[in-house]
Amino acid sequence: MLDVQNLSVEYKIQGGVLRAVDGVSFTLKRAESLGIVGESGCGKSTIAKALLQLLPKNGKISGGHVFFDGDDLVGKSAEEIRKMRQKRIALVSQSAMNSLNPVHTVGKQIIEAIRCHSRMSVKEAYARAVEVFSMVGLEEKRLRSFPHQLSGGMKQRAIIAMALSLEPDIIIADEPTTALDVVVQGRILQRIQKIHKEISSSMIFITHDISVVSEVCETIMVMYGGRVMEIADTDSFFRAPYHPYSLGLQNAFPSITEIGREELVSIPGSPPNLSEPQEGCRFHVRCPFATETCRIQEPPLEKVRDDHYSACWYNDKVESFRREAGKRDTWESVRKRIEEQILREDAHEEIEHEEIKGAGR
Amino acid sequence: MSETPMISIANLNKHYPVRRGARDLFRQDRQVVRAVDGISLDIASGEILGLAGESGSGKTTTGEIIVRLQEATAGEITVDGHPLEASSRKDRKRFRREVQMIFQDPYETLNPRFTVFETIAEPLRIHGLKDKGEIARRVTECLTIAGLKPAEHYLDRFPHEMSGGQRQRVAIARGIVLRPKVLIADEPVSMLDVSIRADILNLLKRLRDEMGLTMIYVSHDLATIKYLCDRIAVMYLGKIVEIGDAEDVIAHPQHPYTQVLVSSVPVADPDYQRQEVTVDDAVPDQINLPEGCRFTPRCPYAQPACLSCDHELVERRKGQQSACIFSPEELRPRSIS
Repeated sequence: MLDVQNLSVEYKIQGGVLRAVDGVSFTLKRAESLGIVGESGCGKSTIAKALLQLLPKNGKISGGHVFFDGDDLVGKSAEEIRKMRQKRIALVSQSAMNSLNPVHTVGKQIIEAIRCHSRMSVKEAYARAVEVFSMVGLEEKRLRSFPHQLSGGMKQRAIIAMALSLEPDIIIADEPTTALDVVVQGRILQRIQKIHKEISSSMIFITHDISVVSEVCETIMVMYGGRVMEIADTDSFFRAPYHPYSLGLQNAFPSITEIGREELVSIPGSPPNLSEPQEGCRFHVRCPFATETCRIQEPPLEKVRDDHYSACWYNDKVESFRREAGKRDTWESVRKRIEEQILREDAHEEIEHEEIKGAGR
Repeated sequence: MSETPMISIANLNKHYPVRRGARDLFRQDRQVVRAVDGISLDIASGEILGLAGESGSGKTTTGEIIVRLQEATAGEITVDGHPLEASSRKDRKRFRREVQMIFQDPYETLNPRFTVFETIAEPLRIHGLKDKGEIARRVTECLTIAGLKPAEHYLDRFPHEMSGGQRQRVAIARGIVLRPKVLIADEPVSMLDVSIRADILNLLKRLRDEMGLTMIYVSHDLATIKYLCDRIAVMYLGKIVEIGDAEDVIAHPQHPYTQVLVSSVPVADPDYQRQEVTVDDAVPDQINLPEGCRFTPRCPYAQPACLSCDHELVERRKGQQSACIFSPEELRPRSIS
C-alpha cells in the first residue's frame, strides 16, 4: 500500500546541508504494523514528517518517491496533501497531547476534525466521536472536557481517537507513549494493539525503545545515520538479528525478565555527523567487526532470509558476530580504537597549528 | 543492618501548600499537596537504592531533600551520623561536599559558558583547593574515571560541542570530584540514547565498587533499577508501598501497585506473555487523597478493610516489605466500588 523508494531528506543548516534521511526504501502492506527504531538523529521522525510533508521550512525531500496506493506523494501540492492528512494518513506525534486547543472541549475539536474531512453532519460526527472514544477507553462525558481536565494519558488517548476517527489507511505514531508514565504507557500500548487488530489500518510506529516495538509491531526497521540497517519481521529480529548495530542494541538493553546479574554492554562512540559527507557503512566507526571495505564502500541492504534484510558486508559471518557481540571485550576494542583515533587527530591538529604559527613568523 | 547506615531517613514529610484563590488565604485548614508523606528508610554504606514510581510519587522530592535542594516539612535525615539540619556554616559546607547530585537533563545542568575544565574545577575551588597543579590533576583524574578519555581532548570543550552522553559524564565527573560519600542520581539516563545508557549505568556501578559511594538512583524505569540497584523502594503518592531486594521485588512483587508497575514494562522478547494490566491509569487528586490505602481507588483487589490501611510496611518475604494489608495469596477481586 505504501511503497517508499529511495527517500532522501535534507535540512539546510548553518554552513551546509544535513542529510537526515539518505536513500531509504521500505514497503508497508495493508494492515501491517511497522516499527521504525533508532537513536536520536537517525532520521526516524524525519521520515514520518516527510511522508506527510510536514517538514520544517529548512527541510525538503531531495529525492525518491513515496507511492501511496500507486500515487506518488512526492511533488503533490500542499493542498492535496492536506486533504489526505487525517483522512487517509493520520499522525500521532510525541507532543500531540499538548497540541489540543486549551479553550475548546476535546469533543468540539474531534468533531471539527471529522467534519473538516468528511460530509458528516454534526450529529453523525458526534456519534463517530463517541465510537472512537470508546475504542480508546474514554467515556462519552469526556468529550465535554477541556484538555486541562484530562490526565496526560487521557489526552494522548483522545489524540489517538482523533487519528482513528476517519478510519485512515495509515496511522503514523511518532513516540506516542514516550512522555507518559509506565503504567499509562502499558495501557495505551495494549489499546493500540487491540485497535490495530480490530481495524484494517496499517501502522508505522516510531520509537527508540525496541521493547515497545517487540510488543506492538510485526515488522521492525532499524535505522542508523539516516540509512536502513536492518528490516525483519519482529520475531526473527529478536531471535536472530543480523546487523552488528542490532546486535549491539540488543545487548545494551536492560531487561526486567532476566534474573541473575546480566551484563549490559553499550556501543562506544557516537552517531555520525550527518552534515558531513559520509563514506562507507554509516556504522563502521562504532562497529567492532569493521574492515577496510566497510570504511570505503557502503553495503547494500541484502536479503538474508525470508522477510529479513541486513545492510552489512559480512552477513555470512553473522554466527561468529553474534557470539562475539555478547562479550564486553569486543566492544571495548572499539572504545580503544576511537580513543586512539582522537589522540591521533589531536596530535595532527597540533602539528598543523604549529605549522601555521611557523608560517606566520 | 547491623552497621550504622550511611543515610537514615525517619518519618520524612514534604507538604506544599496550595492556594486556589484569595479566599483560601484566610482558611484555617490550609490545603496541601503531600508530595512526601512519612517515609522512613535506611541506606547502608556502599549500597545503591533505587527509588521507583510514577510522576507525582515523590521520588524526586525525596532525592532533592537529601541534597538540601528542598527543605523538609518534618522528619529527620542523618547522613553518615550527622543530622541534615546542621547548624553551623562549616557543617553545611562539609555536607555539600559529601552529598552530590546528578540530574536528568545533561543539556541543562552544565553552564554553557564554562569549559569542561572550569565546570569540574569549580567545586574544588569553592571548597578551598588553590594548588593549580593539584586541581588539574584531580580534574583529569575524574574525567578519566567518568570515561572521557583521553581527558586532555575534552578539557577545553564547551557543553555545546559534546553529545548528551558526554555531557552526562562531565556532570558525573563534577559530582565525584570532591570525593563525596553519597551520590543522588535523578533519572541520569532517561534522556540518553539507548546505546549509551548502559555505559552510564556501568559507570555508576563502578563508582560504587571503586570509590565506595552510597547511591540513591531515582527512576521510573524498573529495568535500569533492576540492573543497577541492590534494593528498590517503590513509591506511590508520597508513600513507600514496597521495599526490598531489587530482583526479588521485580520477580515477586508483593504490593498490588508494584505488580501493576512490573507488568506494565514493555519487554523486548517475542516469547514474553504480558500479564493484562487492569488498572485505571488516572492517579488520584494529590490534594484530596483517598482514605486509607492510597492505591485503593485503582487497586484491582481493594476490600473494605483497605480504607483503614495506614501503609505500615509488613515483611512478606525475607528482606522484602510491603504496605499492603494482604499478602499476594490473600488478594481477592475488588469488592468495593
